[in-house]
Amino acid sequence: MQNYEFTKEELAKIDKIIAKYPNPQPAVMPVLWMAQEKFGHVEPEVQQLVAKTLDLTPAHVYGVASFYTQYYKEKKGKYVLDVCTSFSCQACGAYDTLHELEEKLGIKAGETTEDGMFSIQSVECLGACGYAPMMQITNDVYVNHLTSEKLDKVIEGLKQDKLPEFEPIPLVQNREPAEEK
Amino acid sequence: MAEIFIDNKRFEFEGPTKVLQFILDNGLELPFFCYHPSLSIPANCRKCFVEAGQPVFNRETNSFELDENGERVIRFFPKLMTACSLDATDGMVIKTHVTSELVRRGQKDTLELILINHPLDCPICDQAGECPLQIQTYKYGPEGSRFEHKKVHKPKRIQLGPRVVLDAERCINCTRCVRFTDEISKSKQLTIVQRGDNNYPVTAPGLEFDDPYSVNTVDICPVGALTSSDFRFKARVWEMSQTPSIDITNGKGCSIDIWTRDNLVMRITPRYNPHINDYWMPDAGREAYKIYNENRISRPEVNVDNQKIKSSWNNALLTTSEKIQSIQPNEILVVGSAYASVEDNFALAKFFGQLGQEKAVFAPNIIEGSGDDFLISDDLAPNTSGCEFLGIDQLDKEKLAAEITSDQYKLIVILHEDVVGRQIVTADQLASKFSIYLGTNKNQTSAVSNVVIPVTTAAEHFVSYVNVQGRIQRTIPAKETLYTNRRLDLEMSMGRLDHFGTQFDNWVTDKNKIDCIPAWEFLVRLAHELNIDFKFNSAREVFQEIVAGTDHFSDVSYERIDSELGVDLANKQKEELNLA
Ligand code: SF4
Ligand code: FES
Ligand code: FES
Repeated sequence: MQNYEFTKEELAKIDKIIAKYPNPQPAVMPVLWMAQEKFGHVEPEVQQLVAKTLDLTPAHVYGVASFYTQYYKEKKGKYVLDVCTSFSCQACGAYDTLHELEEKLGIKAGETTEDGMFSIQSVECLGACGYAPMMQITNDVYVNHLTSEKLDKVIEGLKQDKLPEFEPIPLVQNREPAEEK
Repeated sequence: MAEIFIDNKRFEFEGPTKVLQFILDNGLELPFFCYHPSLSIPANCRKCFVEAGQPVFNRETNSFELDENGERVIRFFPKLMTACSLDATDGMVIKTHVTSELVRRGQKDTLELILINHPLDCPICDQAGECPLQIQTYKYGPEGSRFEHKKVHKPKRIQLGPRVVLDAERCINCTRCVRFTDEISKSKQLTIVQRGDNNYPVTAPGLEFDDPYSVNTVDICPVGALTSSDFRFKARVWEMSQTPSIDITNGKGCSIDIWTRDNLVMRITPRYNPHINDYWMPDAGREAYKIYNENRISRPEVNVDNQKIKSSWNNALLTTSEKIQSIQPNEILVVGSAYASVEDNFALAKFFGQLGQEKAVFAPNIIEGSGDDFLISDDLAPNTSGCEFLGIDQLDKEKLAAEITSDQYKLIVILHEDVVGRQIVTADQLASKFSIYLGTNKNQTSAVSNVVIPVTTAAEHFVSYVNVQGRIQRTIPAKETLYTNRRLDLEMSMGRLDHFGTQFDNWVTDKNKIDCIPAWEFLVRLAHELNIDFKFNSAREVFQEIVAGTDHFSDVSYERIDSELGVDLANKQKEELNLA
């Protein structure tokens, strides 16, 4: 088992985070982020490190970490594709998109490809309901208005380590009127 | 005094109080799940909905606004309020399901939502029969579910720790269990994980729920999500008889209930006592059912040619009395015990006092640091203070060993104390003396004693114990012995099975009744053999004599103990000292 530790500088930074709040509980989230950035995941051992650092119980940290799909409670692929399957996206066909993605990569939601490149997660609302169906890549860029072609393009790009561009969304008043069908 | 109107009835209240607690205190009913009087109030189950309003106060006229009928104008909160978290205020008006259609609807809808993913497996659930969810669904719930889809599945049969099993599908996420470990036992071992309809409580990965108070979460879980690994599937609630008693596994003496079925103790649960244990008890105390059920001495045993044989009571009495008559009273060592009751210790000391041996001794079993500052005391025996108050000589282990092995004594009479098991003396040392053991369970001492007299446990007789705080409490028999009978003894409780079971059905037998009598009763019989004037008809009579003759116990009675949930002897002492 790997031995996880924070460096002196990191601990100093954590102290600053803690000082912002009246008690250590609120610091759990930023410190979990720090840990995930450093180790790439927050497996139980990392959660225990966070708990120890903040003088909280492992149970408390686990409760927080398990609430958010953005914290990886196990090692994930290099790119984590978080497909939103909450209400608005679902209504716009998010499950079809998810299943299509599963087929393309040959894994199910919650799994990681053998080469360690991709993981798929089905997640709750990411606050981009207006651009449904959508997904987020490794807690970073959003890919909006998903279609089969778009998925192919994104996957191809990621295989060459190219994250898709951020898609600016035109303001409502500047949008082209929808085509009459 | 502040007033509050609940369903058009006026009540008065003092000091801050929550509406739900006030309603419960006044014997009214309002359904709830997540609220618990000893825990913080998260108001997350939404079951305790009421309509609440306040009179409109006009600051200019400095009076309440009145409507055309001269009644106060009430401004209601726009939404239903959770009574558990709502502070009662002066003039507040509350409508519960008794008077409000809206509240009835709210309760029904809340239940329909709570039950959407509930497995509805009451027929195989341990909680059935004492389940708030089941009861409230019958009383306030919808008639059926409109949800026709597949329910969310969650983990089942998770062994959270050595003593607690979780069925996450039954959980309604009231967080009582989490709050218990956070606020009462302070182990903080549980947390709610996941989110939305996947929520459930568990420990951090790789860690066990081994809190020494863990089973209390089973008691307060308002559904069957947490069950006790020990009691799981052993008995249905309605088959058992429930009898108030006290925990004898340590000096704290938590108030408990003993649950029996066909004279076997099935489980032990805490009984509310604000002076000692509130609603809680340590897990270790629940294991005491083993003391009551297993490995019991039934029927006297006498050594004949170095072999232990079961004997009749008559033979045991004769053997004992002959031995006593063959020696001088000062050749008898009388060993009392902090594990035995006030009554038995008193009877023992008095009996041998009358015979001519004034001295009785006992060795407390206190291990420094073995307890905590909650409900587990360093004192492992339930009645150390009781023995002290009775004036039994307190010796440490070494001194007691020296007494037992001393040549001065030819007969050792031991009440309850497992002197060999506690390593006070070795089996050989005890075997080299003639000893009489009055005990409940087979142990290393009973194995080498010449006469073994089976006596009743705390679950089989009326007796009292004084805990480490100096509080005296008493037990009521939960199990019948061969010589007691629930139907005749009006203080014993009778559950359905006790009422309606017969010896000719499959569920009731005689085999769980132990052939034993209280120690004081054995001494009364012995006195008859020896022609001593020593007579009691009941434990109550023994106790009355203690009260009459011992300062520490003056003014105490079984009735006072029952109605005041025990009486604080130490404090009573203090008050007298202050007066002097
Ligand atoms: S397990 Fe029981 S006590 Fe704990 S949150 Fe669920 S319903 Fe409440
Ligand atoms: S429902 Fe998908 S982003 Fe809100
Ligand atoms: S008891 Fe009030 S919300 Fe649960």
